[in-house]
Amino acid sequence: MNPDFRGDSDHHDGTSDATPGGYVEQRRPGELGFALFLTAASLFLLYSAYGISEFEALSAPGAVPMATTLVMAISAMVVAYRTARLKKVQSETLSGDILPGKVLLFIGFLIVFGLLLKPLGFVPTAALFLILAIKVLARKGWGYSFATAMSALFIIWIVFRVVFTVLLPAGIVPEAEFIQLFRNLVSSGAN
Amino acid sequence: MDIFLAMVMVFLQPELLILVGVGTFAGIYIGAIPGLSVTMAVSILISFTFSWDVYPAISLMVGIYMGGVYGGSRTAILLNIPGAPSAIATAMDGYPMAQKGEAGQAIGVTTVMSFFGGLIGIIVLAVAAPFVSDFALKFQPRDYMLLAVLGILLVGSLSSGSLVKGIFAGALGIAIGAVGRDPLTFTERFTFDLRIMEGGISFIAVMIGMFGVSEALQQLQNVNMKAVRQKIDRIVPSFGTIKRYLPLSLQTSSIGVIIGALPGTGGDIAALMAYDHAKRVTKNPEVPFGKGAMEGLVAPETANNAAVGGAFIPMMTLGIPGDAVTAIMIGALFIHGLNPGPMLMIDQPDMFWFIVGALFTANIFMLIFGLTGIKVFTKIVEMPRAIIIPLILLLSIVGAYAVNNSITDVYWMLGFGVFGYFMRHYGYPLGPVILGVILSRLLDENWRRAIISEREDLGRFFEGILTSPLSFVLFSSVILIFVSQTPLWAATKTRLSGKASS
Repeated sequence: MNPDFRGDSDHHDGTSDATPGGYVEQRRPGELGFALFLTAASLFLLYSAYGISEFEALSAPGAVPMATTLVMAISAMVVAYRTARLKKVQSETLSGDILPGKVLLFIGFLIVFGLLLKPLGFVPTAALFLILAIKVLARKGWGYSFATAMSALFIIWIVFRVVFTVLLPAGIVPEAEFIQLFRNLVSSGAN
Repeated sequence: MDIFLAMVMVFLQPELLILVGVGTFAGIYIGAIPGLSVTMAVSILISFTFSWDVYPAISLMVGIYMGGVYGGSRTAILLNIPGAPSAIATAMDGYPMAQKGEAGQAIGVTTVMSFFGGLIGIIVLAVAAPFVSDFALKFQPRDYMLLAVLGILLVGSLSSGSLVKGIFAGALGIAIGAVGRDPLTFTERFTFDLRIMEGGISFIAVMIGMFGVSEALQQLQNVNMKAVRQKIDRIVPSFGTIKRYLPLSLQTSSIGVIIGALPGTGGDIAALMAYDHAKRVTKNPEVPFGKGAMEGLVAPETANNAAVGGAFIPMMTLGIPGDAVTAIMIGALFIHGLNPGPMLMIDQPDMFWFIVGALFTANIFMLIFGLTGIKVFTKIVEMPRAIIIPLILLLSIVGAYAVNNSITDVYWMLGFGVFGYFMRHYGYPLGPVILGVILSRLLDENWRRAIISEREDLGRFFEGILTSPLSFVLFSSVILIFVSQTPLWAATKTRLSGKASS
């Protein structure tokens, strides 16, 4: 049996944690840069780990962090060295295969989501995100995007806010009053 | 009697029964969608269920796990795209069967054999775990430390092509787990004098980022993939068919349980090994392997579900997860104030037997849904990715925020999501990172206990390893993993096999 078989035509895309992407014999665009970044970050963390308790004792609080970051630094250097020696994949580009515009756009969406979550509240922020995201991905009209996003958001809100009672930032929406009103309606209906 | 009551608790409480059922159904659905993993689903789910009582939370997760491992076979058979890594081997013969118009038969056999494998795994778990747990009580701190190192290394070496990348990922996980104040001395570690770092990094944020966000970002590149159209005829296999393949499924169940029980390996490796085994033992298959052989379907599907029970053995008895999903479930147990490991079987045996009962129930639900819920799955699996991906991202944000009501956790999750996205692309396995985060404390505390008991003398520490048979076996295994990945080992192996053939 071919051990490299991944079961799909595009087996280098790393669709699971068990079968990560990448090529064995070639390097993908940006791979060397990533390996060098990891090396630099590991060395910085090693320096920081040394600062915890220096070489005070083998049982000192800094002992395991220092050993760990040393392992990180050595393995990152080995990876960087090996990656540097590999030939570049000719059929791929950084903007086309690794970091396409769509991925960058969604990373931006997520950062903005995080920034707006507290001041604006969960419901309006999630509504904005879903409408824009569905519009971009589905490439259909605003009506479709709006209707789909709002239906999905309604179900999510009911499941998580009402059933699971997950507390989410209310922001500008008087959520608690809505829920109370809903409960009053249900209880008066029961009476 | 207590054991029996704990095992049947799922049946006695309708709420738990419903949750196992819902979890199994959702798991089959998630597993059937290529790219969506059970690990991702459970990691998001943990943040929503942490305020629940432990029994309902575990019921839901167990159902999702069992259903998800099975669900991956659907798209593997129908589209040649495995819905989950554990269904990779299933595609090799399942898809050729579907091309010949035998999709219904393939799905039926898959379902029954998955049930059979799952059952064997659960029985072995119930029988073996108490013995392993008793044995684990003899472990010394250095054994726990070595076991943690072994677990992380196994994930790194078995789940990816590059051991060095696996080692890096595992070490990174341990470093992430060390962030914050040291629990023994209260010394700050990797906090960079920032107050938000003092409490450490929420491992749920790391998990959701690594498995949820990075996977969703990855899927953005396949957003235009066509919806899964399923056309299925007769599904329930005949008794004769089941009887015919039962001996093979017994053998591959054993493979599944053993591989699943090894820390760091999971259903995917078990399925591939079982497929390989089936090829070797089946001398004259009716249809050649790779062209629709039933044996090629039976072996991986029995093994990957048997691996579920196997994965719970080290998790429940040693506190070492068998795979990424059980790593997340260990986190769930920690959140609920439980401490997986040998003491769990002594302090809270009910919890262990409850999990056995829940797994058994999930297995039954899997069989029922697998054989009857075809039409429903047909509809929901056709849901466009343009809607699914934004929803996963939204749930990831809600999940990360909900744990501590903290926006900082959302940023950690985003950071690890983007980082995990690059790791996926460049061939760094994510499993060891999570395992490292989970095992960081176990490793750190036990190293310090072990070295203090040896009066800070490394010589005495190694002498202890050499004189204790258990420590020696664990230490030798760690060394063997390293050596087996070196070019020298590969060259020696080639030379030896060359001599043998000549």
